[in-house]
Amino acid sequence: MSKAAIPQSEQEMMNARLEQARRQLLQSEKLAAIGQLAAGVAHEINNPVGYVYSNLQSLESYLTDLFRLTDAVDSADSLDSLKAIKQNIDYEFVRHDLKDLLAESREGIERVKTIISAMKDFSHIEEEEFKPADIQRGIESTLNVVNNELKYKAEVTREFGDLPPVECIISQINQVVMNLLVNAAHAIDDFGEIRIRTREAGDTVIIEIEDTGRGISQDNINRIFEPFFTTKPIGKGTGLGLSLSFNIIEKHNGRIDVESALGKGTCFRIALPAKQPRAPEDS
Amino acid sequence: MIKIQLVDDEPNILSSLRRLLKPQGWEVHTYDNVESALGGLLEHNYAVIVSDYQMPTADGVTYLQFAKQRQPDAMRLVLSAHGDRTSMIKAINQAEVYRYLSKPWNDYEVVATIKSAIDLYQLKVENRQLQNEVDTQKAMLRAREQELLRLEAENPGITRVQRDADGSVLISNND
Ligand SMILES: Nc1ncnc2c1ncn2[C@@H]1O[C@H](COP(=O)(O)OP(=O)(O)OP(=O)(O)O)[C@@H](O)[C@H]1O
Ligand SMILES: [Mg+2]
Repeated sequence: MSKAAIPQSEQEMMNARLEQARRQLLQSEKLAAIGQLAAGVAHEINNPVGYVYSNLQSLESYLTDLFRLTDAVDSADSLDSLKAIKQNIDYEFVRHDLKDLLAESREGIERVKTIISAMKDFSHIEEEEFKPADIQRGIESTLNVVNNELKYKAEVTREFGDLPPVECIISQINQVVMNLLVNAAHAIDDFGEIRIRTREAGDTVIIEIEDTGRGISQDNINRIFEPFFTTKPIGKGTGLGLSLSFNIIEKHNGRIDVESALGKGTCFRIALPAKQPRAPEDS
Repeated sequence: MIKIQLVDDEPNILSSLRRLLKPQGWEVHTYDNVESALGGLLEHNYAVIVSDYQMPTADGVTYLQFAKQRQPDAMRLVLSAHGDRTSMIKAINQAEVYRYLSKPWNDYEVVATIKSAIDLYQLKVENRQLQNEVDTQKAMLRAREQELLRLEAENPGITRVQRDADGSVLISNND
Protein backbone atom coordinates (compact mmCIF):
# COMPACT_ATOMS: atom_id res chain seq x y z
CA MET A 1 0.00 0.00 0.00
CA SER A 2 2.81 2.39 0.79
CA LYS A 3 3.81 2.15 -2.87
CA ALA A 4 0.41 3.26 -4.05
CA ALA A 5 0.49 6.31 -6.28
CA ILE A 6 -1.32 9.47 -5.20
CA PRO A 7 -4.22 9.07 -7.65
CA GLN A 8 -4.89 5.66 -6.15
CA SER A 9 -5.38 7.01 -2.64
CA GLU A 10 -7.38 9.86 -4.06
CA GLN A 11 -9.65 7.33 -5.63
CA GLU A 12 -9.91 5.52 -2.33
CA MET A 13 -10.86 8.76 -0.68
CA MET A 14 -13.45 9.41 -3.34
CA ASN A 15 -14.83 5.94 -2.84
CA ALA A 16 -15.01 6.39 0.89
CA ARG A 17 -16.81 9.69 0.44
CA LEU A 18 -19.20 8.17 -2.02
CA GLU A 19 -19.92 5.34 0.38
CA GLN A 20 -20.52 7.85 3.16
CA ALA A 21 -22.87 9.87 0.98
CA ARG A 22 -24.75 6.72 0.09
CA ARG A 23 -25.15 5.82 3.75
CA GLN A 24 -26.38 9.27 4.55
CA LEU A 25 -28.90 9.08 1.75
CA LEU A 26 -30.10 5.76 3.08
CA GLN A 27 -30.41 7.17 6.53
CA SER A 28 -32.26 10.28 5.46
CA GLU A 29 -34.67 8.31 3.30
CA LYS A 30 -35.33 6.20 6.35
CA LEU A 31 -35.93 9.23 8.53
CA ALA A 32 -38.22 10.70 5.90
CA ALA A 33 -40.14 7.45 5.80
CA ILE A 34 -40.43 7.42 9.57
CA GLY A 35 -41.61 11.02 9.54
CA GLN A 36 -44.25 10.17 6.98
CA LEU A 37 -45.33 7.25 9.10
CA ALA A 38 -45.40 9.17 12.35
CA ALA A 39 -48.75 10.74 11.49
CA GLY A 40 -50.22 7.34 10.71
CA VAL A 41 -48.78 5.82 13.85
CA ALA A 42 -50.17 8.66 15.95
CA HIS A 43 -53.58 7.83 14.58
CA GLU A 44 -53.11 4.17 15.46
CA ILE A 45 -52.14 5.05 19.00
CA ASN A 46 -54.72 7.78 19.60
CA ASN A 47 -57.58 5.36 19.07
CA PRO A 48 -56.69 2.84 21.79
CA VAL A 49 -55.44 5.54 24.14
CA GLY A 50 -58.76 7.32 23.63
CA TYR A 51 -60.95 4.44 24.69
CA VAL A 52 -58.68 3.05 27.39
CA TYR A 53 -58.55 6.46 29.02
CA SER A 54 -62.28 6.92 28.86
CA ASN A 55 -62.86 3.39 30.14
CA LEU A 56 -60.72 4.14 33.18
CA GLN A 57 -63.01 7.00 34.03
CA SER A 58 -66.09 4.79 33.65
CA LEU A 59 -64.35 2.23 35.85
CA GLU A 60 -63.88 4.89 38.50
CA SER A 61 -67.57 5.69 38.54
CA TYR A 62 -68.45 1.98 38.70
CA LEU A 63 -66.15 1.57 41.68
CA THR A 64 -67.64 4.60 43.41
CA ASP A 65 -71.04 2.96 43.04
CA LEU A 66 -69.83 -0.39 44.28
CA PHE A 67 -68.18 1.20 47.32
CA ARG A 68 -71.43 2.96 48.06
CA LEU A 69 -72.95 -0.47 48.33
CA THR A 70 -70.18 -2.08 50.41
CA ASP A 71 -69.94 0.93 52.73
CA ALA A 72 -73.67 0.69 53.33
CA VAL A 73 -73.22 -2.85 54.64
CA ASP A 74 -72.04 -1.35 57.95
CA SER A 75 -74.48 1.51 58.20
CA ALA A 76 -77.68 0.24 56.61
CA ASP A 77 -80.48 -0.51 59.05
CA SER A 78 -82.15 -3.19 56.98
CA LEU A 79 -81.49 -5.59 54.16
CA ASP A 80 -84.11 -3.80 52.13
CA SER A 81 -82.22 -0.54 52.10
CA LEU A 82 -79.13 -2.41 50.86
CA LYS A 83 -81.23 -3.96 48.13
CA ALA A 84 -82.50 -0.55 47.20
CA ILE A 85 -78.96 0.74 46.76
CA LYS A 86 -78.05 -2.31 44.71
CA GLN A 87 -81.00 -1.65 42.43
CA ASN A 88 -80.16 2.00 42.25
CA ILE A 89 -76.60 1.55 41.01
CA ASP A 90 -77.68 -0.84 38.27
CA TYR A 91 -75.56 -3.58 39.80
CA GLU A 92 -76.30 -6.21 37.16
CA PHE A 93 -75.20 -3.92 34.38
CA VAL A 94 -72.01 -2.87 36.13
CA ARG A 95 -71.17 -6.45 36.96
CA HIS A 96 -71.59 -7.53 33.38
CA ASP A 97 -69.94 -4.52 31.79
CA LEU A 98 -66.85 -4.62 34.01
CA LYS A 99 -65.62 -7.72 32.22
CA ASP A 100 -65.99 -6.11 28.81
CA LEU A 101 -64.48 -2.86 30.00
CA LEU A 102 -61.36 -4.61 31.28
CA ALA A 103 -61.01 -6.90 28.28
CA GLU A 104 -61.35 -4.04 25.82
CA SER A 105 -58.92 -1.87 27.74
CA ARG A 106 -56.39 -4.66 27.88
CA GLU A 107 -56.76 -5.07 24.13
CA GLY A 108 -56.10 -1.36 23.70
CA ILE A 109 -52.93 -1.45 25.77
CA GLU A 110 -51.72 -4.51 23.87
CA ARG A 111 -52.27 -2.63 20.65
CA VAL A 112 -50.16 0.31 21.82
CA LYS A 113 -47.47 -2.06 23.04
CA THR A 114 -47.34 -3.83 19.68
CA ILE A 115 -47.05 -0.58 17.79
CA ILE A 116 -44.27 0.71 20.01
CA SER A 117 -42.22 -2.45 19.82
CA ALA A 118 -42.78 -2.59 16.07
CA MET A 119 -41.45 0.95 15.80
CA LYS A 120 -38.40 -0.13 17.77
CA ASP A 121 -37.84 -3.23 15.68
CA PHE A 122 -38.34 -1.19 12.61
CA SER A 123 -35.98 1.64 13.31
CA HIS A 124 -32.87 -0.15 14.63
CA ILE A 125 -30.72 2.59 13.19
CA GLU A 126 -27.55 1.47 14.93
CA GLU A 127 -27.76 -2.10 13.60
CA GLU A 128 -25.49 -2.01 10.60
CA GLU A 129 -24.13 -5.54 10.53
CA PHE A 130 -25.31 -8.71 8.90
CA LYS A 131 -26.92 -11.06 11.39
CA PRO A 132 -29.21 -14.08 11.07
CA ALA A 133 -32.73 -12.73 11.40
CA ASP A 134 -36.34 -13.85 11.30
CA ILE A 135 -37.75 -12.36 8.10
CA GLN A 136 -41.35 -13.15 9.00
CA ARG A 137 -41.10 -11.31 12.28
CA GLY A 138 -39.60 -8.36 10.37
CA ILE A 139 -42.57 -8.39 8.00
CA GLU A 140 -45.01 -8.46 10.92
CA SER A 141 -43.30 -5.47 12.58
CA THR A 142 -43.37 -3.59 9.32
CA LEU A 143 -47.05 -4.40 8.85
CA ASN A 144 -47.75 -3.04 12.29
CA VAL A 145 -45.98 0.18 11.46
CA VAL A 146 -47.71 0.72 8.11
CA ASN A 147 -51.06 -0.73 9.13
CA ASN A 148 -52.67 2.66 9.08
CA GLU A 149 -51.63 3.25 5.46
CA LEU A 150 -52.86 -0.16 4.38
CA LYS A 151 -56.04 -0.96 6.22
CA TYR A 152 -58.17 1.56 4.39
CA LYS A 153 -56.81 0.51 1.01
CA ALA A 154 -56.50 -3.24 1.03
CA GLU A 155 -57.00 -6.52 2.69
CA VAL A 156 -53.61 -7.95 3.52
CA THR A 157 -53.19 -11.70 3.28
CA ARG A 158 -50.11 -13.61 4.34
CA GLU A 159 -48.94 -16.88 2.86
CA PHE A 160 -45.85 -17.61 4.88
CA GLY A 161 -43.69 -20.66 4.24
CA ASP A 162 -41.16 -22.06 6.68
CA LEU A 163 -38.08 -19.90 6.45
CA PRO A 164 -34.59 -20.43 7.79
CA PRO A 165 -32.93 -17.48 9.55
CA VAL A 166 -31.61 -15.13 6.88
CA GLU A 167 -28.29 -13.42 7.23
CA CYS A 168 -29.15 -9.78 6.64
CA ILE A 169 -29.44 -6.29 8.06
CA ILE A 170 -33.02 -6.75 9.14
CA SER A 171 -33.83 -3.05 9.58
CA GLN A 172 -32.91 -2.52 5.94
CA ILE A 173 -34.97 -5.46 4.74
CA ASN A 174 -37.88 -4.09 6.76
CA GLN A 175 -37.42 -0.81 4.99
CA VAL A 176 -37.59 -2.49 1.59
CA VAL A 177 -40.76 -4.35 2.59
CA MET A 178 -42.24 -1.11 3.84
CA ASN A 179 -41.49 0.68 0.56
CA LEU A 180 -43.12 -2.12 -1.40
CA LEU A 181 -46.20 -2.21 0.84
CA VAL A 182 -46.70 1.55 0.73
CA ASN A 183 -46.26 1.56 -3.06
CA ALA A 184 -48.79 -1.25 -3.33
CA ALA A 185 -51.32 0.67 -1.23
CA HIS A 186 -50.74 3.81 -3.30
CA ALA A 187 -51.37 1.84 -6.51
CA ILE A 188 -54.83 0.75 -5.35
CA ASP A 189 -57.65 3.11 -6.26
CA ASP A 190 -60.53 2.07 -4.03
CA PHE A 191 -60.04 -1.09 -2.06
CA GLY A 192 -58.00 -4.08 -3.12
CA GLU A 193 -55.82 -6.87 -1.96
CA ILE A 194 -52.17 -7.13 -1.00
CA ARG A 195 -50.66 -10.59 -0.75
CA ILE A 196 -47.40 -11.24 1.02
CA ARG A 197 -45.79 -14.57 0.30
CA THR A 198 -42.57 -16.08 1.61
CA ARG A 199 -40.91 -19.36 0.74
CA GLU A 200 -37.58 -21.10 0.70
CA ALA A 201 -36.08 -22.06 -2.64
CA GLY A 202 -32.79 -23.91 -2.31
CA ASP A 203 -30.44 -21.66 -0.41
CA THR A 204 -32.39 -18.50 -1.12
CA VAL A 205 -35.45 -17.05 0.48
CA ILE A 206 -38.21 -15.47 -1.62
CA ILE A 207 -40.47 -12.65 -0.51
CA GLU A 208 -43.30 -11.62 -2.81
CA ILE A 209 -45.54 -8.62 -2.45
CA GLU A 210 -48.42 -8.58 -4.87
CA ASP A 211 -51.17 -6.03 -5.24
CA THR A 212 -54.37 -5.64 -7.24
CA GLY A 213 -53.56 -2.04 -8.11
CA ARG A 214 -53.23 -0.01 -11.29
CA GLY A 215 -50.15 -1.82 -12.59
CA ILE A 216 -47.13 -0.24 -14.30
CA SER A 217 -46.98 0.64 -18.00
CA GLN A 218 -44.31 -0.81 -20.31
CA ASP A 219 -42.74 2.63 -20.63
CA ASN A 220 -42.39 3.06 -16.91
CA ILE A 221 -41.41 -0.41 -15.83
CA ASN A 222 -37.80 0.03 -16.91
CA ARG A 223 -37.50 3.27 -15.03
CA ILE A 224 -39.05 2.54 -11.64
CA PHE A 225 -35.71 1.67 -10.01
CA GLU A 226 -34.14 4.96 -11.12
CA PRO A 227 -33.60 7.45 -8.33
CA PHE A 228 -36.23 10.21 -8.37
CA PHE A 229 -38.46 8.46 -10.88
CA THR A 230 -41.99 8.93 -9.65
CA THR A 231 -45.46 9.21 -11.13
CA LYS A 232 -46.86 10.59 -7.90
CA PRO A 233 -47.74 14.23 -7.37
CA ILE A 234 -45.23 16.49 -5.65
CA GLY A 235 -45.28 15.92 -1.93
CA LYS A 236 -46.59 12.39 -2.30
CA GLY A 237 -43.54 10.65 -3.67
CA THR A 238 -39.84 11.43 -3.98
CA GLY A 239 -39.13 8.51 -6.27
CA LEU A 240 -36.43 7.17 -3.96
CA GLY A 241 -38.27 4.20 -2.47
CA LEU A 242 -37.49 1.64 -5.13
CA SER A 243 -34.01 2.88 -5.98
CA LEU A 244 -32.97 2.56 -2.34
CA SER A 245 -34.69 -0.78 -2.09
CA PHE A 246 -32.71 -1.91 -5.12
CA ASN A 247 -29.46 -0.76 -3.51
CA ILE A 248 -30.25 -2.54 -0.29
CA ILE A 249 -31.08 -5.82 -1.99
CA GLU A 250 -27.98 -5.55 -4.15
CA LYS A 251 -25.86 -5.06 -1.07
CA HIS A 252 -27.41 -8.23 0.31
CA ASN A 253 -26.36 -10.08 -2.86
CA GLY A 254 -30.00 -10.62 -3.70
CA ARG A 255 -32.31 -9.73 -6.56
CA ILE A 256 -35.47 -7.72 -6.87
CA ASP A 257 -37.79 -8.30 -9.84
CA VAL A 258 -41.13 -6.99 -10.90
CA GLU A 259 -44.02 -8.27 -12.97
CA SER A 260 -46.95 -6.08 -13.75
CA ALA A 261 -50.12 -5.98 -15.82
CA LEU A 262 -51.86 -2.64 -16.39
CA GLY A 263 -55.20 -2.54 -14.66
CA LYS A 264 -54.58 -5.90 -12.97
CA GLY A 265 -51.78 -5.46 -10.50
CA THR A 266 -48.12 -5.75 -9.73
CA CYS A 267 -45.90 -8.29 -8.04
CA PHE A 268 -42.46 -7.51 -6.62
CA ARG A 269 -40.22 -10.47 -5.87
CA ILE A 270 -37.17 -10.32 -3.64
CA ALA A 271 -34.71 -13.20 -3.55
CA LEU A 272 -32.17 -13.18 -0.72
CA PRO A 273 -29.40 -15.67 -0.04
CA ALA A 274 -29.92 -17.26 3.36
CA LYS A 275 -26.17 -17.02 3.95
CA GLN A 276 -24.01 -14.18 2.71
CA PRO A 277 -21.07 -15.29 0.60
CA ARG A 278 -17.83 -14.69 2.52
CA ALA A 279 -15.98 -11.80 0.97
CA PRO A 280 -12.30 -12.68 0.35
CA GLU A 281 -10.95 -9.95 2.65
CA ASP A 282 -13.30 -11.10 5.40
CA SER A 283 -11.87 -14.56 5.82
CA MET B 1 -86.42 10.57 23.86
CA ILE B 2 -83.22 12.19 22.62
CA LYS B 3 -81.42 9.90 20.18
CA ILE B 4 -77.68 10.00 19.55
CA GLN B 5 -75.89 8.23 16.72
CA LEU B 6 -72.23 7.18 17.07
CA VAL B 7 -70.22 5.98 14.07
CA ASP B 8 -66.69 4.58 14.35
CA ASP B 9 -65.03 1.62 12.68
CA GLU B 10 -63.45 0.59 15.98
CA PRO B 11 -65.99 -1.26 18.16
CA ASN B 12 -63.99 -0.59 21.35
CA ILE B 13 -64.34 3.14 20.84
CA LEU B 14 -68.09 2.68 20.50
CA SER B 15 -68.38 0.71 23.72
CA SER B 16 -66.36 3.21 25.72
CA LEU B 17 -68.49 6.09 24.41
CA ARG B 18 -71.62 4.11 25.19
CA ARG B 19 -70.38 3.74 28.79
CA LEU B 20 -69.61 7.42 28.97
CA LEU B 21 -73.05 8.48 27.73
CA LYS B 22 -75.14 5.91 29.57
CA PRO B 23 -75.70 7.99 32.74
CA GLN B 24 -77.12 10.82 30.61
CA GLY B 25 -80.21 8.78 29.77
CA TRP B 26 -80.10 9.40 26.03
CA GLU B 27 -80.89 6.66 23.56
CA VAL B 28 -77.49 5.85 22.05
CA HIS B 29 -77.18 3.97 18.76
CA THR B 30 -73.75 2.75 17.66
CA TYR B 31 -72.62 1.72 14.18
CA ASP B 32 -69.23 0.36 13.19
CA ASN B 33 -69.70 0.97 9.48
CA VAL B 34 -71.07 3.72 7.32
CA GLU B 35 -73.55 1.55 5.42
CA SER B 36 -75.53 0.50 8.46
CA ALA B 37 -75.28 3.99 9.92
CA LEU B 38 -76.99 5.25 6.76
CA GLY B 39 -79.69 2.66 7.42
CA GLY B 40 -80.11 4.09 10.92
CA LEU B 41 -80.78 7.52 9.44
CA LEU B 42 -83.83 6.11 7.68
CA GLU B 43 -85.32 4.73 10.86
CA HIS B 44 -84.57 7.28 13.54
CA ASN B 45 -84.46 11.00 13.98
CA TYR B 46 -81.24 11.94 15.71
CA ALA B 47 -80.47 14.97 17.77
CA VAL B 48 -76.72 14.48 17.47
CA ILE B 49 -74.53 12.43 15.13
CA VAL B 50 -70.91 11.81 16.12
CA SER B 51 -68.66 10.31 13.47
CA ASP B 52 -65.06 9.16 13.32
CA TYR B 53 -63.03 10.76 10.53
CA GLN B 54 -61.05 7.94 8.95
CA MET B 55 -63.10 4.85 8.14
CA PRO B 56 -62.63 2.10 5.54
CA THR B 57 -65.40 2.73 3.01
CA ALA B 58 -66.12 6.43 3.37
CA ASP B 59 -64.59 9.15 5.47
CA GLY B 60 -66.57 10.70 8.27
CA VAL B 61 -67.01 14.01 6.50
CA THR B 62 -68.60 12.34 3.50
CA TYR B 63 -70.88 10.44 5.82
CA LEU B 64 -71.87 13.59 7.70
CA GLN B 65 -72.63 15.28 4.40
CA PHE B 66 -75.14 12.52 3.70
CA ALA B 67 -76.52 12.83 7.19
CA LYS B 68 -76.91 16.57 6.73
CA GLN B 69 -79.00 16.02 3.64
CA ARG B 70 -81.21 13.45 5.32
CA GLN B 71 -81.54 15.07 8.71
CA PRO B 72 -80.64 18.73 8.48
CA ASP B 73 -81.62 19.40 12.08
CA ALA B 74 -79.30 16.79 13.60
CA MET B 75 -76.13 18.35 15.01
CA ARG B 76 -72.95 16.91 13.54
CA LEU B 77 -69.72 16.23 15.43
CA VAL B 78 -66.43 14.71 14.30
CA LEU B 79 -64.32 12.66 16.70
CA SER B 80 -60.99 12.08 15.03
CA ALA B 81 -57.57 10.67 15.81
CA HIS B 82 -56.25 12.44 12.77
CA GLY B 83 -56.25 16.03 13.85
CA ASP B 84 -54.66 17.48 10.72
CA ARG B 85 -55.73 20.78 9.27
CA THR B 86 -57.06 19.43 6.01
CA SER B 87 -59.50 17.05 7.63
CA MET B 88 -60.65 19.75 9.99
CA ILE B 89 -61.22 22.31 7.25
CA LYS B 90 -63.04 19.74 5.18
CA ALA B 91 -65.27 18.87 8.11
CA ILE B 92 -66.19 22.46 8.76
CA ASN B 93 -66.70 23.56 5.18
CA GLN B 94 -68.28 20.50 3.66
CA ALA B 95 -70.25 18.91 6.45
CA GLU B 96 -70.78 22.04 8.56
CA VAL B 97 -69.92 20.21 11.73
CA TYR B 98 -70.73 21.79 15.04
CA ARG B 99 -67.49 20.70 16.74
CA TYR B 100 -64.35 18.84 15.85
CA LEU B 101 -63.21 16.70 18.78
CA SER B 102 -59.92 14.83 18.84
CA LYS B 103 -58.92 11.42 20.13
CA PRO B 104 -57.88 10.75 22.82
CA TRP B 105 -60.82 12.75 24.05
CA ASN B 106 -61.68 14.36 27.33
CA ASP B 107 -64.82 12.70 28.74
CA TYR B 108 -66.14 15.90 30.22
CA GLU B 109 -65.66 17.79 26.98
CA VAL B 110 -67.44 15.14 24.94
CA VAL B 111 -70.46 15.10 27.25
CA ALA B 112 -70.61 18.88 27.51
CA THR B 113 -70.34 19.28 23.74
CA ILE B 114 -73.12 16.77 23.11
CA LYS B 115 -75.28 18.50 25.70
CA SER B 116 -74.88 21.88 24.11
CA ALA B 117 -75.47 20.32 20.69
CA ILE B 118 -78.72 18.87 22.01
CA ASP B 119 -79.75 22.29 23.28
CA LEU B 120 -79.18 23.76 19.86
CA TYR B 121 -81.01 20.88 18.23
CA GLN B 122 -84.00 21.45 20.47
CA LEU B 123 -83.96 25.14 19.68
CA LYS B 124 -83.89 24.35 15.99
CA VAL B 125 -86.77 21.92 16.29
CA GLU B 126 -88.79 24.30 18.45
CA ASN B 127 -88.08 27.10 16.06
CA ARG B 128 -89.30 24.99 13.19
CA GLN B 129 -92.47 24.08 15.09
CA LEU B 130 -93.19 27.70 15.86
CA GLN B 131 -92.48 28.62 12.29
CA ASN B 132 -94.91 25.93 11.13
CA GLU B 133 -97.53 27.21 13.52
CA VAL B 134 -97.10 30.74 12.28
CA ASP B 135 -97.29 29.51 8.71
CA THR B 136 -100.55 27.59 9.22
CA GLN B 137 -102.07 30.52 11.04
CA LYS B 138 -101.01 32.83 8.25
CA ALA B 139 -102.53 30.48 5.70
CA MET B 140 -105.79 30.37 7.63
CA LEU B 141 -105.89 34.14 7.80
CA ARG B 142 -105.21 34.40 4.12
CA ALA B 143 -108.01 31.93 3.30
CA ARG B 144 -110.42 33.88 5.44
CA GLU B 145 -109.40 37.12 3.79
CA GLN B 146 -109.86 35.63 0.36
CA GLU B 147 -113.30 34.35 1.25
CA LEU B 148 -114.27 37.82 2.38
CA LEU B 149 -112.98 39.31 -0.85
CA ARG B 150 -114.91 36.77 -2.86
CA LEU B 151 -118.14 37.49 -0.99
CA GLU B 152 -117.57 41.18 -1.38
CA ALA B 153 -117.09 40.78 -5.13
CA GLU B 154 -120.25 38.70 -5.46
CA ASN B 155 -122.39 40.90 -3.26
CA PRO B 156 -120.82 44.29 -2.84
CA GLY B 157 -121.30 45.62 0.62
CA ILE B 158 -122.08 42.28 2.20
CA THR B 159 -118.94 42.19 4.32
CA ARG B 160 -119.69 45.59 5.67
CA VAL B 161 -123.25 44.78 6.81
CA GLN B 162 -123.59 45.68 10.44
CA ARG B 163 -125.83 43.83 12.75
CA ASP B 164 -127.50 44.68 15.95
CA ALA B 165 -127.02 42.66 19.13
CA ASP B 166 -130.13 40.58 18.30
CA GLY B 167 -128.91 39.89 14.74
CA SER B 168 -131.12 42.30 12.87
CA VAL B 169 -129.52 44.20 10.01
CA LEU B 170 -128.66 47.79 10.64
CA ILE B 171 -128.93 50.21 7.78
CA SER B 172 -126.21 52.80 7.98
CA ASN B 173 -126.85 56.33 7.01
CA ASN B 174 -123.60 57.44 5.54
CA ASP B 175 -124.05 55.76 2.11
N1 LIG C 1 -46.95 -1.61 -6.73
C1 LIG C 1 -46.91 -0.67 -7.67
N2 LIG C 1 -47.92 -0.53 -8.55
C2 LIG C 1 -47.91 0.42 -9.51
N3 LIG C 1 -46.88 1.30 -9.67
C3 LIG C 1 -45.85 1.22 -8.84
C4 LIG C 1 -45.79 0.25 -7.80
N4 LIG C 1 -44.64 0.41 -7.12
C5 LIG C 1 -44.00 1.43 -7.72
N5 LIG C 1 -44.70 1.93 -8.74
C6 LIG C 1 -44.34 3.04 -9.63
O1 LIG C 1 -42.95 3.26 -9.48
C7 LIG C 1 -42.70 4.64 -9.15
C8 LIG C 1 -41.46 4.73 -8.30
O2 LIG C 1 -41.67 4.13 -7.00
P1 LIG C 1 -40.78 4.58 -5.79
O3 LIG C 1 -41.19 3.79 -4.62
O4 LIG C 1 -39.35 4.51 -6.19
O5 LIG C 1 -41.12 6.09 -5.62
P2 LIG C 1 -42.48 6.75 -5.11
O6 LIG C 1 -43.32 5.70 -4.48
O7 LIG C 1 -43.07 7.49 -6.25
O8 LIG C 1 -41.97 7.76 -4.03
P3 LIG C 1 -41.36 7.42 -2.58
O9 LIG C 1 -41.35 5.93 -2.45
O10 LIG C 1 -40.01 8.00 -2.59
O11 LIG C 1 -42.27 8.08 -1.63
C9 LIG C 1 -43.95 5.09 -8.48
O12 LIG C 1 -44.14 6.48 -8.57
C10 LIG C 1 -45.02 4.33 -9.26
O13 LIG C 1 -45.33 4.97 -10.46
MG1 LIG D 1 -42.63 4.42 -2.91
